[in-house]
Amino acid sequence: MKAFKALFISELKLSLRGLDMFIFAICMPIIVVVILGAVFGNHPAFEGANYSFLEQSFGAVATIAICAGGVMGLPLVVSDYRSKKILKRFQVTPVRPSLILAVQVVIYTLYSIVSLILVYLTAAILFDFQFHGSWVVFLGAYFMVMLSMFSIGLLVGGIAPNVKIAGAVASLLYFPMLIFSGATLPYEVMPASLQKFANVMPLTQGIKLLKAAVLDLPIESVFFSVILISLIGIVCSVVAVKFFKWE
Amino acid sequence: MEKTIEVNKLCKSYANVRVLDEVSFQISRGEVFGLLGANGAGKSTTIECILGTKKQDSGFVAVLGMNPQKERKKLFERVGVQFQEGNYQERISVDELCKVSNSLYKNPLDYLELLKQFGLMEKQKSLVSELSGGQRQRLFIVLSLIPNPEVVFLDELTTGLDPRARREVWKILLKLKEQGLTIFLTSHYMDEVEALCDKIMILKKGKTIFYGSVKEAISSSPFNQLEDAYLWYTKEEEEYESV
Repeated sequence: MKAFKALFISELKLSLRGLDMFIFAICMPIIVVVILGAVFGNHPAFEGANYSFLEQSFGAVATIAICAGGVMGLPLVVSDYRSKKILKRFQVTPVRPSLILAVQVVIYTLYSIVSLILVYLTAAILFDFQFHGSWVVFLGAYFMVMLSMFSIGLLVGGIAPNVKIAGAVASLLYFPMLIFSGATLPYEVMPASLQKFANVMPLTQGIKLLKAAVLDLPIESVFFSVILISLIGIVCSVVAVKFFKWE
Repeated sequence: MEKTIEVNKLCKSYANVRVLDEVSFQISRGEVFGLLGANGAGKSTTIECILGTKKQDSGFVAVLGMNPQKERKKLFERVGVQFQEGNYQERISVDELCKVSNSLYKNPLDYLELLKQFGLMEKQKSLVSELSGGQRQRLFIVLSLIPNPEVVFLDELTTGLDPRARREVWKILLKLKEQGLTIFLTSHYMDEVEALCDKIMILKKGKTIFYGSVKEAISSSPFNQLEDAYLWYTKEEEEYESV
């Protein structure tokens, strides 16, 4: 526990010093909320909808930080620490190298939660955002999305042969997911063909779950999403643990 | 005498190339052991097999009577390691690196005291990446001593140090040796080996070509300097003919 605490403090400081996560996980979602709020205001999401456009987008914006941390931050830090042999240094101490990975997961979880709170406050204070559904369902879905995205990140970081490849794969996952899953560009405004493509991405499914939770829509329509996200989470975690390379 | 490190018939190959061929030695408590040889002779692989970060193909290794792979957690409470390349996070400060190392052990030494001893006190707040080569090297020796170890592994411990700093490090190591610390080191500096080591082993392409004291190394060669003797022992066959 002593080691976890010391590592947590120092790794959090290092991460904040890096600034990337502060920009992509903390600032960017807030900016997206402000833009969506300013452009669409409190207009209903569509003719006759009893919720606003922003309310419809809330779930999506809340996942920006998860996406940044899970498929960008985590894989890069894991492959960086492996190639710098920092993980190896931990192998010759009484603690396991996995401790430093656990610390990273906790840090990215923290970024996601802080981002969620800030996104909510911004939307509620500036744009009169109303949460129609159940917070319990929302948080359940939120952590599920987090688990699946983080497991993808650990998988990429754990088996990519070097930082360059990890970075390339991370970008390949990050940008399409961020743009097409509805996290920045609203899913509703995309043409049908693009929606079909977006549907295969786990983040799209996660956002559907979150949206249903925010707007209090029936959960049956998103049964497929639950299955898909859980499946991806489980498969990636198992593969990541099984094929993880410390060195 | 108590055996601190025991290595018996250690063998290791990478992709069918033998990098260690039946290497055997024993190190007693309080001894300073020097592993010598050209780059690629198998020194780092030997250290890694002893530490359990690599698995040998065959042979036996025990450190403080423990199997380094099976009793990792217990063993590394009592063993300090300085790897050849310092491995640290970008943008981490000296103080943070020490604090984290400190938190990994049950009974660590006061790292401030160690920083003072190694002349790094005023660098406490600096980033590790901003230290000079010598300062960084000293910092990594400090890190290896934080667990208050019974055995310490120092891979090329004084590479990059200026002569005065090297002498300082020797002095500290000799003092620690008097207190019973067992030291396993690799070095390319023969003056250092002569000043510190009780026993040495010279490796060449994974084979032991000399194992004994510094004095024996010199007396069984045609030379009277360790450096000459070392070069004589490690000479390539082709070179040998042309002399």
